[in-house]
Amino acid sequence: MVEHGDVRVVHKGGSKINFREPALSTDSRFLLCASGESVKVFSTATEECLHALQGHTDLITGVLLRPSNHLQAYSCSLDGTVRLWDFTDGILIRTYSIGYPIYGIYASAKHEGVIFIITPMHTDTNSELFQLVAVHLPQCGEQLVEAKELSAVLSNISSNPAASAFGREVRIFRSKPLQLEHVQKIVSFCVGALFVYNGPHNIFFCVSIVICSDQSISGTPSDQWTDPDWLLQAEGSGTNLLSGGVESVLVQWRYNQESQRDFLPRLGGAITHISVSPDGALFCTSHSDNKITIIQSCVKVSAVIQGLVKGDRIRTDLMIEPRSKALVLNGKPGHLQFYSLQRDKLLYNLDIVQQEYIHESGLEQFEVVMAAFDASGSWLATVEERKQKAPELELNLKLWAFDDQKQSFVLNTTISAPHEGRITALCFPHVSDGQTTMLVSTSRDGHFKAWQLAAPAHTEGPSWSCDFLGAYHSLVPECCCFSADSSLLAVGFQEVVTVWTPASWELLTTLSQPPGAVRDLCFGRLSCSKYLLGATTSRLLCCWNLLTCSLEWVTSMDVSLLLADPLSENMAAFCFEAGSTDLFVFKPGEPRPLFSHKALCSGRVTHAVFVPREVMLESCDEASQWLNCSHLYFLTQSMDLLTFITKAEEDKLTASSKQLVVSDDVAMTPFHLLLGKHRDQLENPQGSNVSLPQLLQMPAHVLPSASFLCSMFVQSLLISVNKPRSKEEEMESEKEEEDSDGEMESRISRPEHMPSGESGCAAPALTKEEVRELRRLKKLDHSWMKGLLD
Amino acid sequence: MSTPSGGQEGAVLGERATEMASDGGSSSLQLPCVFSPKSRQYLAVCAQDGRLRIWNTDSKTINQEYVPSAHLSATCTCIAWGPCRTVKEGPQRKKRKSEAVQVEEKADLLAMGTAAGSVLLYSTAKGTLHCSLVTHSAGVNCVHWHPEDSVLYSGSDDTNIVEWDLQSGKMRSKWKADRAAVTSLCVSPDGKLLLSAGHVIKMWDLDTKELYRKFTGHSTAVTTLRFATTRPPDSNGLYFVSGAAHDRLISVWQVREDGKDKNSVVSFTLTDEPRHVDLVPSNSKEEAVRLAVVCQDGQLHLFEHFLNGPCKKPFSPSCSVQMADTRESPMPIPMLAAVLGRDSRSVLLAYGNHLQPVIEQVEVNTTERHVCLSRDVKTSLSLTMESTVSKVKTPVVNTKSKVLVPGLPGHQAPLKGSHLEKASEKRKKDTKEMSIAEQLGEIDLSATSSEKVKASLQTDNYAVLLVQGLESNDADILNKVLQTRKEMVIKKTVARLPLSAVLPLVKELTNRLQGHPFAGILMVRWLKAVLMHHTSYLASLPDLVTELGVLYHMIESRVKMFHKLTKLHGKLYLLMTHVATSDSSNMVSEVDHTAKLVYEDGEWD
Repeated sequence: MVEHGDVRVVHKGGSKINFREPALSTDSRFLLCASGESVKVFSTATEECLHALQGHTDLITGVLLRPSNHLQAYSCSLDGTVRLWDFTDGILIRTYSIGYPIYGIYASAKHEGVIFIITPMHTDTNSELFQLVAVHLPQCGEQLVEAKELSAVLSNISSNPAASAFGREVRIFRSKPLQLEHVQKIVSFCVGALFVYNGPHNIFFCVSIVICSDQSISGTPSDQWTDPDWLLQAEGSGTNLLSGGVESVLVQWRYNQESQRDFLPRLGGAITHISVSPDGALFCTSHSDNKITIIQSCVKVSAVIQGLVKGDRIRTDLMIEPRSKALVLNGKPGHLQFYSLQRDKLLYNLDIVQQEYIHESGLEQFEVVMAAFDASGSWLATVEERKQKAPELELNLKLWAFDDQKQSFVLNTTISAPHEGRITALCFPHVSDGQTTMLVSTSRDGHFKAWQLAAPAHTEGPSWSCDFLGAYHSLVPECCCFSADSSLLAVGFQEVVTVWTPASWELLTTLSQPPGAVRDLCFGRLSCSKYLLGATTSRLLCCWNLLTCSLEWVTSMDVSLLLADPLSENMAAFCFEAGSTDLFVFKPGEPRPLFSHKALCSGRVTHAVFVPREVMLESCDEASQWLNCSHLYFLTQSMDLLTFITKAEEDKLTASSKQLVVSDDVAMTPFHLLLGKHRDQLENPQGSNVSLPQLLQMPAHVLPSASFLCSMFVQSLLISVNKPRSKEEEMESEKEEEDSDGEMESRISRPEHMPSGESGCAAPALTKEEVRELRRLKKLDHSWMKGLLD
Repeated sequence: MSTPSGGQEGAVLGERATEMASDGGSSSLQLPCVFSPKSRQYLAVCAQDGRLRIWNTDSKTINQEYVPSAHLSATCTCIAWGPCRTVKEGPQRKKRKSEAVQVEEKADLLAMGTAAGSVLLYSTAKGTLHCSLVTHSAGVNCVHWHPEDSVLYSGSDDTNIVEWDLQSGKMRSKWKADRAAVTSLCVSPDGKLLLSAGHVIKMWDLDTKELYRKFTGHSTAVTTLRFATTRPPDSNGLYFVSGAAHDRLISVWQVREDGKDKNSVVSFTLTDEPRHVDLVPSNSKEEAVRLAVVCQDGQLHLFEHFLNGPCKKPFSPSCSVQMADTRESPMPIPMLAAVLGRDSRSVLLAYGNHLQPVIEQVEVNTTERHVCLSRDVKTSLSLTMESTVSKVKTPVVNTKSKVLVPGLPGHQAPLKGSHLEKASEKRKKDTKEMSIAEQLGEIDLSATSSEKVKASLQTDNYAVLLVQGLESNDADILNKVLQTRKEMVIKKTVARLPLSAVLPLVKELTNRLQGHPFAGILMVRWLKAVLMHHTSYLASLPDLVTELGVLYHMIESRVKMFHKLTKLHGKLYLLMTHVATSDSSNMVSEVDHTAKLVYEDGEWD
């Protein structure tokens, strides 16, 4: 058996971005959100992901701007660390190790050097009780810091409080336990602070205590929201209040103007978080369909950051659209989503049901449950279903043709109630070229139907109609599959596999391997096209030879998913074994598997897809050869999209990576030129301060804290009367000089084509003596200064 | 929908295209329109209004719009995408088991040259201006990135070439390249040579900034320069292509070892001056150079050629692609830009106008010399605009789409007992000559028709009318007959109907039953009458199953709901009667509420 030597399983996009409340940067330009094991920094203007801050080794449970420095952010994770980042450059500044899993993080500007985290009450992991703990962050310059100074603030809170706030007063109270009938109503709001209410049992923290009952927010909330699970967020100055909930309507309330409300309806999935940028210019709402909507303060949607919509469950298979090579699966209710795997970005949602989705719990609406593309991508078949009670199932089968002229799918035929029972499988034949004219659907009503594209009638274009209705001993068909050349159709009727010829619809043969119903069927491809593989519920994987109509081999494995690579003979079987899933890749004609990977992930894998590569790999390595034609993507039970990557590929990718460093300065406005001149005049007489502009250009994370710098900064701006420098100043300038060193060298080694008309903005060149002086300073021993910093 | 326009259509389109070009050529404004490198994620277009728009080629929607501060005075003259950025890696990166490889090829920066002489660097990731570089005294004609270092070259009307060091954002060097304006630039793939075009095409050594070669040939301003091979210059294998204004040619030049490279070695013919050139360079002699040229007249020409020394005869394109709209007299749609895909067939196209280009990945049938694609630009436009923010695309649903409900033919499989069908087919083959029975039938029919002649005097004989209507398929007559409501008339008519007309009648009734439900009520009466009178005849038909299968399915599916409907009807009836009775009882009780007479006890003891 070949071991999985140099093939790795990697995450490939599609992670959750709505897990915790996102944070907006002070200037509203960046949005930080926790996404799996990394923090993603998005640009609010372009919806692009600028950086992924990587370093945590477990799920990230909170992101927060640092109150004392708006260019830095904290993130906390279940791995027991809090990390401080410079998010504009994507640099990890410091790691605080706490030692307990952290479920949430809060900070306040009034508490310098203190953060509040939520940790479990008891050390055992499955405890449901959590506490709020204040952590004093030690001030030191090291990368990894252990923060052991913890003090409990509150106990008995939820792991994810729906909201939280700090008041003007810097006290944190634990409010009285609320009566349950009270809890339904009290969700209050007062100037600058917000009362928190979380779930049926408890609370949290409430600050400069003015608890308003719901009446103060104009009328009763129940006429706006039917579900008690709603959110509030105060905006900037505290005069406005935002609320939203399961109906996905954002409402902006004005303080003391109860009649004036702004509504922003139809935002998508239920709103799970609302956050407001510190300057109040932008709001953003997280939605249950893995989406973040960025909203301007005039209540207008400006951007949508959409992750892979996973919803509560995936009904359709994973598919690849042959035209754009996008991954297709059901997304928002009633839509199919097209997701680009190369770019890790949602392309668009295709509205299949075309009915307004009403966000109300308990209301059954049409959902897309099944879809299939034909080989050329010119036909799309979708099944939508509305289930009120089992006997009153409503089904629609829709067939969409891709219209080249309009560059869009066009509805060709709607078949209402195509079957009397739920449809179990939908399958187009693999016609390599030419037109697809057939579709097979199997249903729980014990029939399978073949739909045929009928010739165009006199006025209308071609449309689909039923061509054949097949049944076998009133057994229920569970799966169907066309052979590689589409000359055979295999339909699994419980224990029996029936093989039909689509040309004349005759039953050719039946195959069976009792006991156990056939769960999955798959024909071999290319040289293995004579084999038919079936996975049964009795933990068997059977391979039949269709030439002899006999069983070729059988192995005992609990196959949860069987998949054939469309470009090679390989097949992948995901097997469920002892709580985790194993993968076997094999050729039906060969006894040895090509590749096996034990314990891929926990839980069953029920969705996977082979994605054809754009460029074939030419790997000769036996273990990774099966990845030459296609990628294999699969979804785990926790809805992570994973894929395999070979070592060679990874090396190639890292080798080709190079940094393009381009200085970021939008200068040269007339104002800047004026100011620049003014500064030159100021600084040149002093002669000492090349450092000031450099101080301003230096990244924030290499500087000491702002309070430390401020006095020196002010001093440097003052016209100095020559007096001996203080120690601190010296240290500061040394620091800057170190930094400027590299640049100086580049300036000296510049080619001879020095432009004649260089603009005046360049810093004045240093004289040789100054350079020498700087070098000397650099060599001096400054280790004593560490003590000062601490 | 690609149709080879091997005939008139192509010729007509060609004429229109030249007309259009002469109209549009008067402005002769070259609007830049460039796809991002590598993965072609974006299309950067600078339109007539001076704004820069970035389009996403995957979702075909507008991604961002940038308005330069002086977009009206200093219009954008050229755009160049920077080399792909890589996502920055954190300082302490441990490679864990399940960590994704964070090396994505994302285009980020693009450089814009403006008519005012400044070069703007725009970051598409951040959506903001990254920095601006000013030193040229006249308009910038071309910008070009160094393939590896963060160095940018710009050529200007002030005859200078400037080398920018982007790490510091400052000018590194500047030299006078020509007596005339520098109109085009190109850096060789290895980053050592620079081509510039002014009066003549000059090749510079970038290390020393010295002139390496000179090439003369173009009489007008050179607009395009591209390296066609990736080989070193001293191997006789370095080639580059050039295109000039008002010149219907693309010239190929060889950089020869001996320096005798005065004239172009190969030329490709075009239909108009080149506007956008994309080229897949060849890495070896065995590999052909692929070239896609979009001309001023909106056509796309594809070339494929093995570069191997001079060739006198100009090459014509291996494939020309035109695009037309779907109106009755098709008008050409101009193409804006094209890039070649990995295989020779796929081309990514941008067409339409600069304000709202349509982007499409096309598989071109390269075996045809001329390909004409017809596209409906308007519908794709409206789609892209709607879905910009919401990211929802609505597929087209029009009245042409067919709806199959249970009961309509096609919803169930047509019933055909296979052996029966075969038998009937056989029978048909056997009886090529008229059988006696059929002859008798003929006689019968003729008899009835003779009767009909007599009967035609009576105008109200529905049976005759019906037969006539069925034979001639006349909707007026059939309507007149079938719309009757009198039970007796229907019965009599059906009874008088000749047997040969029964089956056509049943089929007609089936058709009408599928229509409006009100018509169904009338038709059901007829059907009932037919079944009462002619069941024995129908039962004797050998292909009864196939003939009446549709009717059977329809009745079956309509009756399926009958049980539930009656239940519902019963419940509703019960409810309504209940409501009615409670209403009436209320009325009664209300009347009785007030006491007619009230006695009050006196307050005395």
